[in-house]
Amino acid sequence: MSLRSMRRPLWLALGCAGLMVAAACSAPGDSGEDGAAASTAAVATSCGSDPVTLKGYFETGFPVPKELANEFTKQFPNVKWDIREDQFAVITQNAPRVLADDPPDLMRLPQVSELVKDGLLKNLDGYAQAYGWDKWPASQLEQMRVGSNGQRGDGPLFAQGLNFSMTGVFYNKKLAAQIGMTEPPATLADLDALLQKAKDAGITPINQFNGGATGGLAFPLQNLMAAYGEPGPINDWIFQKPGATIDTPTNLQATKHLEKWIKAGYFASDINSQDYATMMSRFIGGKALFIFDGDWESGNLDKQMAGNAGFFLMPSAQPGGKRAAMSAPLTYGISAKAAHADCAAFFLNWVATNQKARDIDVSVGGSHPMGPSDAYMPPVKEGTVTAATLEAGATIGQDNGSMDFIANATGAIYAKSWTPQLQKLVAGQQTPEALLKSVQKDYESQVKG
Amino acid sequence: MIVNRREALTGRVLLVLLMAITVVPFLSLFVTALHPSGTYPSGLSWPAQPHWGNFADAFRAAHMGELLMSSVLIVAGVVPVSLLLGTLAGFAFGHLRMPGHRVGFLIFVLGLTLPFEGIITPLYYQVRDMGLLNTRWAIILPLIGLFMPFSVLWMRAHFVTMPDDLSEAARIDGATTWQLFWRVHVPLARPALSSLAILLFLWTWNQFLLAIVLVDDPAKRTMAGALGAFQGQWGTDIPLLCAGSLLILAPTLAVFLIFQRRFVAALLQGSIKG
Amino acid sequence: MPARVTGRRARRARRPGAWLGWLFVAPAAVVYAVFVLRPLGLTVQYSFYDWNGIGASTWVGLENYTRLFTEPELFATILHAFELILFFSLIPVLLALFVAATIRGIAQSRLALVARTVLFLPQVIPLVAAGIMWSWLLSSTGLANELLSAVGLGGVTRAWLGDFDTALPAVGVIGAWVLVGLCTLLLLAGMSKIDTALYESARLDGAGPVREFFAITLPSLRQEIGVCVTVTVIAALASFDVVYISTQGGPGNATMVPGLEIFYLAFSEREVGRASALAVVLVALVLAVVLPIQRLTRDGSR
Repeated sequence: MSLRSMRRPLWLALGCAGLMVAAACSAPGDSGEDGAAASTAAVATSCGSDPVTLKGYFETGFPVPKELANEFTKQFPNVKWDIREDQFAVITQNAPRVLADDPPDLMRLPQVSELVKDGLLKNLDGYAQAYGWDKWPASQLEQMRVGSNGQRGDGPLFAQGLNFSMTGVFYNKKLAAQIGMTEPPATLADLDALLQKAKDAGITPINQFNGGATGGLAFPLQNLMAAYGEPGPINDWIFQKPGATIDTPTNLQATKHLEKWIKAGYFASDINSQDYATMMSRFIGGKALFIFDGDWESGNLDKQMAGNAGFFLMPSAQPGGKRAAMSAPLTYGISAKAAHADCAAFFLNWVATNQKARDIDVSVGGSHPMGPSDAYMPPVKEGTVTAATLEAGATIGQDNGSMDFIANATGAIYAKSWTPQLQKLVAGQQTPEALLKSVQKDYESQVKG
Repeated sequence: MIVNRREALTGRVLLVLLMAITVVPFLSLFVTALHPSGTYPSGLSWPAQPHWGNFADAFRAAHMGELLMSSVLIVAGVVPVSLLLGTLAGFAFGHLRMPGHRVGFLIFVLGLTLPFEGIITPLYYQVRDMGLLNTRWAIILPLIGLFMPFSVLWMRAHFVTMPDDLSEAARIDGATTWQLFWRVHVPLARPALSSLAILLFLWTWNQFLLAIVLVDDPAKRTMAGALGAFQGQWGTDIPLLCAGSLLILAPTLAVFLIFQRRFVAALLQGSIKG
Repeated sequence: MPARVTGRRARRARRPGAWLGWLFVAPAAVVYAVFVLRPLGLTVQYSFYDWNGIGASTWVGLENYTRLFTEPELFATILHAFELILFFSLIPVLLALFVAATIRGIAQSRLALVARTVLFLPQVIPLVAAGIMWSWLLSSTGLANELLSAVGLGGVTRAWLGDFDTALPAVGVIGAWVLVGLCTLLLLAGMSKIDTALYESARLDGAGPVREFFAITLPSLRQEIGVCVTVTVIAALASFDVVYISTQGGPGNATMVPGLEIFYLAFSEREVGRASALAVVLVALVLAVVLPIQRLTRDGSR
């Protein structure tokens, strides 16, 4: 009945909507530049003594930042926290508008180039100078430096890490013993053999999250890429170096290898519907031999699977080949419009330099703290996963095999390209060739845009 | 009415089946909520030891008190104003029928089928420029606007059925238009108003899109928006998520069960008119 | 009720101050104009620009629209919305017709009264909650698979929302669950208005339930069916909540619908122009689908 009366002068009403447009016909958006600039302004290197409430936006499921925040308040009682938490995928979606319109003092950041281009992040060079961060090993901060065109790898510093993490393969020691795996595989062929053995023994060889908006197969894929090729070109691509491409012969080999694993049934059958937490809970419950994951879980695994979890770096395709791993700082930044930028920066420096904070980084987070190479290192118990992942960090340092994550190349590449493409690969709806071409095409349009 | 036994029996069986399908998801949610937190229980299994404490944990984790308060405040902002403005306009379109009332009404009707996604983007920038982002006003004001077509339509449908003689009589007694409206017509419109109030309450309480786009802090959102945030934060812990979802559902379910007659009637009429 | 309105309009004397009515409309009109019409106009305007929501914008004419129809990924969202109509609209309406016709005879029983309450539950809860419940039911270890295994269909079990072939239908099932109760009750309410004498005489003529249904029930319910279809079609085309919670548009883009794509484009990828173009198309689509339905069902009622 209601809509019935609409029949005649529809055009009339539409005309009215047209009028509304005419009334507001200046182009949307402003051209005023703000943020970004303030790098040279004098900075205060403390939180002062007045009460301060730092507004934080953290990632759910990772206790380190909160523990650090609590410890910080213990040492500096005038600083309180107002913390909001979301899953990483949600943070990625929200980052631009939260930074612009509801600026936090300290925020877990997704890929930073576009945020920097839009002037949403505070330039930290002033703090880097004041606190001497520029004397730390350059590789620690490299991924968070952004040039004026959005290219990463060098330029002013726009974020800081709470620690830096290392990825590789975690395994269940009990299940490994069942299939006779006594030492980590030395080559990719060894790994393939182990996967087949596990499958023959009725054990799920690999469990990996790949559902919803989070394509976790990017972990094994990038590890395979580094097993077949060099990490350098992959980093160039991630850092948006001109002319970089992901569609290279070795990457194609890697993608084909991943497809082989999928077709051979080495992954759990429902990975396309598994989120990260499901993967973790199943791995901890002994339902899979391997997962590809990072050392942020080391502390957790040492607690929940004490003595039963192991870690190794992805082996190279060549015997004795160099190893590489995704290794990235747990990136936190300060909004260009933050109310307490100085205090947030002081916190970031405290995290890297305070002994208690570094203890928390390792014992709760399982990852390597940021900071100068000769800084205090907390003792770690032999035989734990944490010890194994920290040691792996040293290997990667020697082999110069550190890479950023392919999901970090642009803000949208993970959600819009890698995730759907990898989900299609699992379902047999995409070929390795077309997968890389499609990702590269999206990448080019995003980098240009 | 002639109905044979077999038909009546199939009818009953079918009805029970349909009810079962409707209820099972609720049951599954409830049973899962009783499992130890952090586990992945399968199917409809009753836990060895029901963890009633999950509800208390979820209550604390979700800040239920704050959420309830927030939703109540938002409803308190949306419903009375929508009722008032909708009644005023509905009275004019349905009873006063001033010159041009058809076109005016038509413009309101135009908004009836508008999907909220159709205007959410500019709405975000508009609300931001008004400085209302992350306040409850960011949900309240747009919702009043978005519910206006339906409110006006609903109230007009009521006033159209009011006999003109009633007004003529009041006018002869010297009543002004406002007195006519407030003293004569509003009291008579009470049943229509209360049904509309129920519908607006429900739609406000369950509003999701505006809440997640315009307000970041779950404690300032509607219940549905808060549930979205709760899932975002605790989605990794299934039993806790289920317990929290149930708690968040509880208020509407309770209100529904108490006022079920009115609710069902209002919703049925509501969809017919909408 | 247009007939009655026009009938009375003839009697109505034009009084001085007839324009006063607009004063009553003014407050509603202001809110409506500011929070609905203005944004609607702006959506149309934005759709002609390339704008990231922060910096300056560039006029691009119809480019956003051409992209909509040339980029398979964007166009697919519209196709998905139409596929959802099948589940949100067709299935609930058919099922509701069947159920309502079957239980017509017991519509006054106590069971039916209880059913009125129970079948309404999905209408009362937030769609978000429906999404959460069903994600859990349809997961690889959920009840759906357990039941299938129990009846010997272990072979077809899968993560329903994570499988390319079943994700969209699975989302559709959630929508059907929400809407079937409402449709059933709407149709039942409509049936209660049908003169029972019609049925009596049909029975005396020896009509079975099937003929009865097609000869009496269906034609009399024209208007209610129109309402059901309208409500459910809008729900399908404008779906957001359920998809956002249960699949986020995945796997791949198998369940990406216009509503969700607008949200992603506008707030995550910050392609405000393209988001707005899609929004304009969505609004137009809803009108294009709903208006004919209204027209069809109106003819019957008057």
